Amino acid sequence: MTPAPKLLDAVGGRPLFVETSRTLPLVSFAIGFETGSYFDPVGKEGLMRFVGRLLRRGTKRLDAKALEATIDRLGAELSVEVSHANVTVHGQVIRRNLEPFVALVAEVLGEPAFDAEELERLRKKVLAERIEARDNDRSLAQNAFRTAMFEGHSYGRKATEASIVAITQPDIAGHFRASILRENVVFGFSGDVDADSARKIAETWLAVLPSSNVKPSFADLRDPEGPKGRTLVIVDKPERTQTQILFGTLGTSGHDEDHIPLLVGTAIFGGTFTSRLMREVRSKRGWSYGASARLNVERVRHGFTMWTFPAAKDAAACAELEIDLLEKLIAKGVTPKEVGFVKSYLTRSHAFEIDTPSKRLHQTLDTYLLGLPVDYPTRYLSEVAATTHTTANAALVKRIDPKNMAIVVVGTAKDIRADLEAKISGLERVSVVPFDAE
Amino acid sequence: MEKRLLSALVAANSANPEHPWTHTGDVPFGTDAVRTFRLANGLRLLLLVDKQAPTVSYFTWFRVGSRHEKPGKTGLSHLFEHLMFNETEGLPAGTFDKKLEAAGAETNAATWVDWTYYYESLPKDRFGLAVTLESERMGRLVLREPQVTSEKEVVANERRYSVEDNLEGSASELLYKTAFDAHPYHAPTIGWMADIEGFTPEDCKGFYETYYAPNNATIVVVGDVSERDVLTKVAKAYGPIASSELPEEDTMPEPPQTAVKEASLSRPTATEKVLVGYKGPSLGDPEHAVLTVLNEILFGGRASRVYDRLVVRDEIASDLRGWVSTFRDPGLYEIFLTARGQHTRAELLATLDEELETVKHELVTVDELERAKARLELGLLQTLDTAAGKAEQIGFYDTVLGDPRGAFARLEAYLRVTRGDVRTAARRWLPRGARTLIHVIPNGETAADPDEADDAEGAEDTADGAEADGEEVAS
Repeated sequence: MTPAPKLLDAVGGRPLFVETSRTLPLVSFAIGFETGSYFDPVGKEGLMRFVGRLLRRGTKRLDAKALEATIDRLGAELSVEVSHANVTVHGQVIRRNLEPFVALVAEVLGEPAFDAEELERLRKKVLAERIEARDNDRSLAQNAFRTAMFEGHSYGRKATEASIVAITQPDIAGHFRASILRENVVFGFSGDVDADSARKIAETWLAVLPSSNVKPSFADLRDPEGPKGRTLVIVDKPERTQTQILFGTLGTSGHDEDHIPLLVGTAIFGGTFTSRLMREVRSKRGWSYGASARLNVERVRHGFTMWTFPAAKDAAACAELEIDLLEKLIAKGVTPKEVGFVKSYLTRSHAFEIDTPSKRLHQTLDTYLLGLPVDYPTRYLSEVAATTHTTANAALVKRIDPKNMAIVVVGTAKDIRADLEAKISGLERVSVVPFDAE
Repeated sequence: MEKRLLSALVAANSANPEHPWTHTGDVPFGTDAVRTFRLANGLRLLLLVDKQAPTVSYFTWFRVGSRHEKPGKTGLSHLFEHLMFNETEGLPAGTFDKKLEAAGAETNAATWVDWTYYYESLPKDRFGLAVTLESERMGRLVLREPQVTSEKEVVANERRYSVEDNLEGSASELLYKTAFDAHPYHAPTIGWMADIEGFTPEDCKGFYETYYAPNNATIVVVGDVSERDVLTKVAKAYGPIASSELPEEDTMPEPPQTAVKEASLSRPTATEKVLVGYKGPSLGDPEHAVLTVLNEILFGGRASRVYDRLVVRDEIASDLRGWVSTFRDPGLYEIFLTARGQHTRAELLATLDEELETVKHELVTVDELERAKARLELGLLQTLDTAAGKAEQIGFYDTVLGDPRGAFARLEAYLRVTRGDVRTAARRWLPRGARTLIHVIPNGETAADPDEADDAEGAEDTADGAEADGEEVAS
């Protein structure tokens, strides 16, 4: 049986997960917080990411460069990941330097500098990064897609130049004290560390965290409404020989009873190299190097998305084909044979989701931080096994609505627009946005 | 018990079918050992039993890559890698991946200048499937239309994704094209578009018959397996495959670069970029480890010298990185700099040159050296987290250097590097008058004035020329 991180009670009643492994002289940890960009105030979008990045840019004792140098000297890595519904501090260190690294992390969490000069430096860098991101067509597609899919919902809220400029040093310090708390933290360790040592380390870190009677709550987080009608957004960029195409409708949340059956249906459609999408788009026609579908898991209902990147000359035909394939998937369903095949793939390949202590730890923490049932990782296998073509098809029909679909294409509009409009049926709205717009 | 059974499979030096394997030694790998074997047909097997997870990784490394291609046929190694997933005499098209997916396997492949590898990571009870499928496509691949035509389209699309519409990909391609004149590192591994479009099934058959033979391959197995089972299954599946007569190496060495070479790209991007390439050491050169340490001091992390100077203090760059190519023959030391806002390539280069001159004249600090070594040690340990990671490290160093423990040997080499070594390496490998510069120039296009695109399209040109101190000489 595959080992799993053990759940221990840390001080303060906060969860602590530990899995010891002596395979490599490395210790990995994750300190997760039940908060995220969801709580960014209106007009200050991007605030939580600034909190995360500034945490890594100095303590009261060490300036940004000294902090970096100290981490490097220890043979360590330290990063802060901010997503919609969680903030996680990830770390890894060569075992012989664990003790000084623990002390350093305590300093980062307990005595962040949030230096005003460093904030200005970071702000300028973030604004420059936003401009550089325009060089990446896939990034452009994803950015536009969030808006097209989730406008009006917190999933679709994004930092803007104005919101970044509006963030102040007191905003950051205040948001840190209100978000990164003893009351919403969860600890996880894996690698060359035993449970007793992990508990002591967690106690050290817990003691330095801010505390508050009020912690961030997701009680008001609701399902998004999703796209209304079939909409096409062309992100217009000159000189594109290729396009990036994203299609999306709403999917499920991890709590929904039909989540796993929908996941099985999605895998059949576009989750493997031999899936329907890959077979039709890549193997038969050679139109795109890749064609895939995925189901995102978040606290509440998120998206079912398809991604492909055909040459500009094939973009319209490829989009038409993929929509047709999706409509047929909903209308005719998947077969028992396809379900049997994908169940075998999903259950057997699960071994590679959990083949290292570090992967098992992060899966456990992600489950916790998304508010999913604690046994979600183990239930996953039994629910995949229990899925039938009947339940998979019911989930597809109930959840996936190709009529209400956002389609985002990055390409050169003058070369592709007319064909796209001609080939994609039922379009209710078409818009063209410059790639270098905000 | 295991040893007695093995005696029927392994002999010291024998082609006897009763003793198909020759044990060619055990090689230390960290705290473990890689067992090495050879079949009579030349197939090598490197085995590391590793029971940390109920999985196994199976890598097949072929000692062929884009360096073996001729002008007009660039990209054949890579196209061929795609075709290996199609049809064999025993497996109809599409069956290969289907069988692996049903077993829950991860599978992929990679081609580069010096090598090509294929891998499967499987639940341990499906080990035999990898042996069956890999031996089948090594010995009985079918190459015909329409798969070749379809796969050429896929590769053309891959090229559009990774080169034509990818700013860094196109700059990198132009760097190697400009820096190398004689050596085949001049051509991109994915191939020139015209060459990709021109391949025929006959081209592919010739390539297959020449290079895809057991005496040009090494299998690396890492995972929760028994040695006896591995030796039995691999010998049975591959033993009947005939070896081939491999062509002698026919590579033109690159003459020393004695002047600055420059080329430029015009693209719809907001900021200027510059890619700098110095001729670098081969992976097997003892100085490779020293230059890697120097690169870490200059570009490794936010406390590194060049990052601190260009990004943090001067705020003239938004991004940068350096990399020493890990090729069998001398490659490049690449540096990529992205200007911030209206700052220019000239500013970036002038400031970079100041930093490079400093490390040529002054010793780096003890602290910088120790930090670089710690970062490299952590990086090595991170690659060994999974069975696939270990198999890749073993196979890579075995294929390029003939040393399966090369990863650990490099770590030892890093730890031996002194401050004086670093200064000497900077003096030797960073000649300002003999480097290659690729200038990425914003063409001023925005989505609002697309009609002007035709004039600027593909504005690439190359020219040799001397470079003045910090002076902008590119068009």
